[in-house]
Amino acid sequence: MTVNRTEVEELVYETCLKLDEKDWKGFLDLCDEKFNYRVSAYAPEIRNDMTWLDRDRAEVEEFIGMLPKHNTDPNPLTRHAQVWKVKMAGDRADVVSSLQVYRTALNGGATELFAVGKYYDTVALDGGRPRLLARHVKLDTRDLGWGTHLPL
Amino acid sequence: MSRNTAQWLAKPKLPPTHYADPAIYSDPALFDEEKAKIFRKVWWLACHESELPNPGDFRTYHHPGDAELVMVRGDDMKVRTFFNICPHRGNLLVYTPSGSVKNFVCIFHQWAFNVRGDCVDIPREKPGYQERVCKADLGLKEVRTEVGFGGFVWVNLDDNAPSLRSEIGAALDYMLPELEAEPLQTFWYYQARLKTNFKLIHDTNSEFYHDYLHVYNRITGMLKPDSGYFQRKYTPFPNGHASVGSMVVSYDSYKSTGRSELGWPHLPPQGWKLVDLFPCITINLRTSVLRIDTYIPIAPNDVILEFRALGLKSDTPEIRRQREKDAAVIWSPFGRNLHEDLLASSGQGIAMAKGSQPMYVLQAREEDATIHDEVGMRHYLAEWSRRMGRSSADPYATERVGARAA
Repeated sequence: MTVNRTEVEELVYETCLKLDEKDWKGFLDLCDEKFNYRVSAYAPEIRNDMTWLDRDRAEVEEFIGMLPKHNTDPNPLTRHAQVWKVKMAGDRADVVSSLQVYRTALNGGATELFAVGKYYDTVALDGGRPRLLARHVKLDTRDLGWGTHLPL
Repeated sequence: MSRNTAQWLAKPKLPPTHYADPAIYSDPALFDEEKAKIFRKVWWLACHESELPNPGDFRTYHHPGDAELVMVRGDDMKVRTFFNICPHRGNLLVYTPSGSVKNFVCIFHQWAFNVRGDCVDIPREKPGYQERVCKADLGLKEVRTEVGFGGFVWVNLDDNAPSLRSEIGAALDYMLPELEAEPLQTFWYYQARLKTNFKLIHDTNSEFYHDYLHVYNRITGMLKPDSGYFQRKYTPFPNGHASVGSMVVSYDSYKSTGRSELGWPHLPPQGWKLVDLFPCITINLRTSVLRIDTYIPIAPNDVILEFRALGLKSDTPEIRRQREKDAAVIWSPFGRNLHEDLLASSGQGIAMAKGSQPMYVLQAREEDATIHDEVGMRHYLAEWSRRMGRSSADPYATERVGARAA
């Protein structure tokens, strides 16, 4: 069965929904066994790329598993992605999406912009359903205030 | 038992060295005084020399004493600092945080200055100014600059301040072998702007009783009897500085650390050394990564935190990648510990904002200057009180005496 572009786009959006819901298992179910997750940002101050997270699937699972033991910002994040480019070749697709992440205060419900950037996703197309093989979150925003423990 | 207002606002039955009036974290008048008596007098760590490696390379810095500065490496390789302002009409000379120039050229009227601060061009100088204004008199304002203690660039607005070495004294001697083993290189720089007081966030580096905030530090240190955690000692130094003794961090005890065996020249394996410099600089070497915190107070309840991570200039790409990974575990904006520190400090900023009727802040733990002793905070506030001419436990005593005399 061939995976089409719409299914690839829906995979990107589905990952956002799962992450918004803090459904970590649901998110990982959308990822390949060889999944890699990376967050980086370019610092104009030192003219250098900074890698703030770089984890394979096992590390992501352990990272998520330890979350309940940590003190984490309780205010929820909402991810908004817009798929711009899908380049399908063989059993892979390279996908570029714009990303905005909002934070909504539990107390009062005010929403503020938390971060902007892009998803650079690699999607596996074999096996009948698209799976996220790698996600590179390239952030334009570098001042994230008090930050977060959660994947974007 | 809960307390009524009078009980809540009563001074603790402790020596005044062991508590602080919350106004020192929120009063705008005291903050203005801090600018005059502290920020414009002390040496600030503005950047690292690796951030301007070549002649003409520059970095900008918002000085806590309210000055926009630019550090630049000269054609003679010397690092100089100037006010980032054109002496013609007061415009910013450079708008980007870093770059490389032959001359600084103001966008407004194209006045140009070389990297030694000399004015080298004024468009249509003679027709407009004749002999009344001369380039030689219109150089940039230079700021005292020293490079040292691991290649950091330090600046001081006070032309009459003691030397950098004199101000730091022996506080950094404990880390000098690691800082000066070989050239360093900044690989992370980022900021976080928080609604809190700079002294509150600096406290998170001055007392480790708050390791109860960090499950990571409990698992990898506090709960490990052989780690030396409870034997770590604070050593106070003159001018408000302090160091924290090393320990052996059990990184393997925490799942998903992804940490390697990578270390640092001269630092014992899995070691961790830390030095706090007054008023808000922390030099923190944790096994494979050197983290530098420098805070820029903007207002009593507003601070820009600058975070740097450094490795060795000689790092291979593989080693550098591992250092980044090690740093990311706890210190990136997604890191296990930093997020928790910033949450707690921001919570203090919210809860102790001006007008919120906060209580006196305790720093009363005494445990023979070991890791849960709050001697670091007491030592810090003793220096704050000395410089301000006010007790941190009773900052308005001077005004009360003055009022009574009147």
